[in-house]
Parts: sequence; structure tokens; C-alpha cells
Amino acid sequence: MSEDVIDAIGGLAPGGRLAALRRQRPDYVKYTQSSHDVLLSPDDPGGLSLVERAAAALRVAVVHDDAALAAHYRARLDAVGGAEVQPLIESLAEAVPASRLSAILHHADLAARAPGRARPTHLEALRAAGLTPRDVVALSQLIAFVSYQARVLAGLRLLHAEGA
Amino acid sequence: MKPAEKFTLDAVEWDPWLPVVDAASATPEQKAALEKSPSATSPYFLTLAHDVASLDQRSPLFHSVMYAPRGLKRAERELATVVASMVNGCVYCCSVHARRFAELTKQPEVIQRLYDEGLGTQLDARRRAIVDFSTRLSTVPPTATEADIAALRTAGLDDLEIVDLIHAVAMFANANRLMQTLGTPVLPDGIVPG
Repeated sequence: MSEDVIDAIGGLAPGGRLAALRRQRPDYVKYTQSSHDVLLSPDDPGGLSLVERAAAALRVAVVHDDAALAAHYRARLDAVGGAEVQPLIESLAEAVPASRLSAILHHADLAARAPGRARPTHLEALRAAGLTPRDVVALSQLIAFVSYQARVLAGLRLLHAEGA
Repeated sequence: MKPAEKFTLDAVEWDPWLPVVDAASATPEQKAALEKSPSATSPYFLTLAHDVASLDQRSPLFHSVMYAPRGLKRAERELATVVASMVNGCVYCCSVHARRFAELTKQPEVIQRLYDEGLGTQLDARRRAIVDFSTRLSTVPPTATEADIAALRTAGLDDLEIVDLIHAVAMFANANRLMQTLGTPVLPDGIVPG
């Protein structure tokens, strides 16, 4: 993944005003991209598969009602061979019977939408579904990252609208 | 330890829900990542150290968003992070960043008023614009509008300050979720909830 995902998803023209403005903060650009890459396509994914990562990211994007961000993670899900689970992600209500993926998706939904409602039992459900502490932390970082990304994009779009 | 349930300017602690990485048996990669984090012994970073790869990228992102030179004043970044944390209900993050704001401005009463009277409390025009934008960028989904950006401009924020503000708020959408879903705030030993 070499293209800058914020520029690409936000539709920032290369060399344009906003792309140049972002680059006044090179560390924001660099570590936003590297966080994305290490969460979505890590060298060693541990027990959290690339499909599960893309699926959780897509659910967080859907919760944030961000069409362009969701399209990005839908494409990522397709690219890692997870297209068949997409309907499960988009309509959580159908995520029965309980499966490992539905446990991941329900946690992503809760943590993205209402993190203050999280309880120890939610992590216990992930552990019961087979996630190790490392997998739980990777999932939590991923949910937190996409929640960050949604707000960076929302803010940049407002700056774009202002300059249009 | 007693749960910390109210927004406060006092110090609170954080109790993890996962077993933390044992500092003695941490891998060299975990030790290196912890060394680069703000506190190698905190239960929060010892939790995040389970996944070194993500911690290794997040720590420098967080640091640059809070401390990059020029641009939005540090106290205003702290204010934005307190607002994001109030919207999400993150008692731990509020405590840490409320105290940073108070140290930088010597105005703890501003935070206390936000806690007591809510995010709509009386503020000067610049802080009003920052608080409103931060509040609406923190909702799920975000509800900030062009009018909020216009208010920031009227209050005198330039392009770089607004980019910094966006990232400070966004970073706490991240930080709050990690803190609130991997553990819980607790009062230090000996403190009885007031």
C-alpha cells in the first residue's frame, strides 16, 4: 500500500491546497498511513486474519456513515478474499448464529458507536471466540484508528468545502 | 479500588481488563515499543504492548498531534481533547488532559465549568468555537458543519491551527475508545468517591 489513504479517500488533489496543507505536518501524514498499513496488512497478523481486520474496519466506517471510507474498506475486503462476508457486516442483525466473525463485528460496532458502554464481558466474548490478548488489542487499535480516520476525513472535507 | 465515575481535575488511575504484558518477560520488540511510549510502566501501555506493531506507529502519531511545534496552542489542543473525552464519557482521559490544560493556562475553573455546566457553558469566542467544533466532530457520526469552520475562522484560527484541531479531536476518538474498551478508570487507593 503505497498511496496515501487519506488523500485517496478524501479526494485530495495531488499537489492541491489541502494536500499541501496536510504536508505541513509530515508526521501526521506519515504515521496515519503507517498505522493504517500495520493494522490492515501487518507482516505478521497473529490470530486476527486480514479478512477479519478488513471486516471490522468496514463496520466502523459504516457506523460512522462515511460512504467513501466504507468503499475503501469494502475494496480492501474484496482484495483479501472476504467479499462473501460483506452482507454480514452491513446488516449486523443477520449475524446469527454467533460466530467468531459476528463476535468481532459486534464488538467493533459497540466500540465505534458507544465506547462508554463497553464492559469486561465484551472482551470475555472475544476471548471466548478464540482471540488472544494480542488479537483483542489489535482489534481495539483498528477500531480506534478507523474512528480517528473518519474524523480526519470529516474535518478535511469541511476545509475543502470552504475552499471550493 | 473504587470506580471513577465523575469527570474530575484530580488524578485517576486505569485498571486493565486484559492481563498486561509482564515487563520482566517482554520481548525485545515490546521493550523497545514501551521505551518509546510516554510511560513504560503504565498498565495502559503494558496492555497496548500486546500488539507491538500498532503501538509502534501510534505512539509517534499521538506525540506529534499533541506536541508538534507552532500551529494550535498546546492548551487549545488539550481543551479539544477534554471536549472529545467528555462527549465519549472518558473519565480517565478527561482527568489527564484537564490537568494539562490547567497547568498550561492556570485556569482550572474553565474545565470545572465545562464539567459542572456542560459544553454549552459561557466561554470566550475563540474557546467557544473550538469547543463547538470539537463537540460536533466527536459525535457518531460526526456532525460538524461548514458553519463550525466559519466560526473558527471568525475566531481567528488559520489553516494550520484548524488542521491541528481536527487531528487533536480525531486522536481522542482513538484514545477514548482504547481507554474505554480495554479497561476502566479507578480512584487511587484511599480516595473515596465524592
